[in-house]
Amino acid sequence: MAATVIGAGITIEGEVSSDDEVIIGGTLRGKLDAGGAVTVESDAVVEADIDAQSVAIGGTVTGNVSAAERVDLLSGGKLIGDVKAARLTIADGAVFKGNVDMEV
Amino acid sequence: MAQHSSSIIAAGTVIRGRITATGDLEIHGHVEGSVTSEGTVTVGPEGLVKSDLEAEHLIVAGAVAGNLRGSESVVLEDGARVIGDVSAPSIGIRPGAKLRGRVATGAVSPKASTSAAPRTAPATRVAPRTTVNPSVPVTRPVQAAPVKAAPVKAAPVKAAPAQAAPLKAAPVKEAPVKEAPKAAPQVKRPPEPVVPVLQKRTKKAVKRRSR
Repeated sequence: MAATVIGAGITIEGEVSSDDEVIIGGTLRGKLDAGGAVTVESDAVVEADIDAQSVAIGGTVTGNVSAAERVDLLSGGKLIGDVKAARLTIADGAVFKGNVDMEV
Repeated sequence: MAQHSSSIIAAGTVIRGRITATGDLEIHGHVEGSVTSEGTVTVGPEGLVKSDLEAEHLIVAGAVAGNLRGSESVVLEDGARVIGDVSAPSIGIRPGAKLRGRVATGAVSPKASTSAAPRTAPATRVAPRTTVNPSVPVTRPVQAAPVKAAPVKAAPVKAAPAQAAPLKAAPVKEAPVKEAPKAAPQVKRPPEPVVPVLQKRTKKAVKRRSR
């Protein structure tokens, strides 16, 4: 199983659920559920709750993020929503507004 | 200048919703909803699409339950299983592809809905059948309602004489066309004058009784 790549020109309004990795470069409105790693690229806009193994945010995410493993908020990333993960990193330059729950 | 990025929906992915793409899209997973693209949409052999697909080029090798509209071309490869209408200026169906639906080449107008275009195609096919069938209920001109049911039942029964008498059907076509509209109003007219006649009698009866 390969990674699902949602490129820059793609807009998805609905639910996305994957067994494996998901790389989002476009726009997603709805819900995202992945069994692997989720990478939100720098131009991506995600207005959805994300539930994955691990989440790396380089774009704009509006919604709650829940990861089994870790959440990385990268330098150009913006997260407005709650985070629930065992590990969390917020890079310098990232924007974050929400609650954090690290008790798993 | 829109960036044509290619996207892949991998095999284990399920998407329920609307997908709008400016670039190419490869579907190897499940998609339910609607898919619109300005580029090429490829449905892989493992792909399962329960939605209408609209793109410039469509290449289908998987299962699709929905209408396919290509503004340039639609190609069904070996292994494709399509239940739905296919319309594009250029359509290719490779050996091994399975299709159940209407196929229409011709200009895909941007305003016409998917239901409008295929309806015009079978309308021309149904028209000659309706002219042949009224030759059968010539013996029953009064029954206006079962005329629609009679040709459906009578067509398989009297298929042999209908084929044996195509020459007779030509002059007979004019007769039932004239008889059918005349038969319909004749059935409706008789009950109407009964009511005013009764009213006139009652008024006359009242005047006579008063005298």
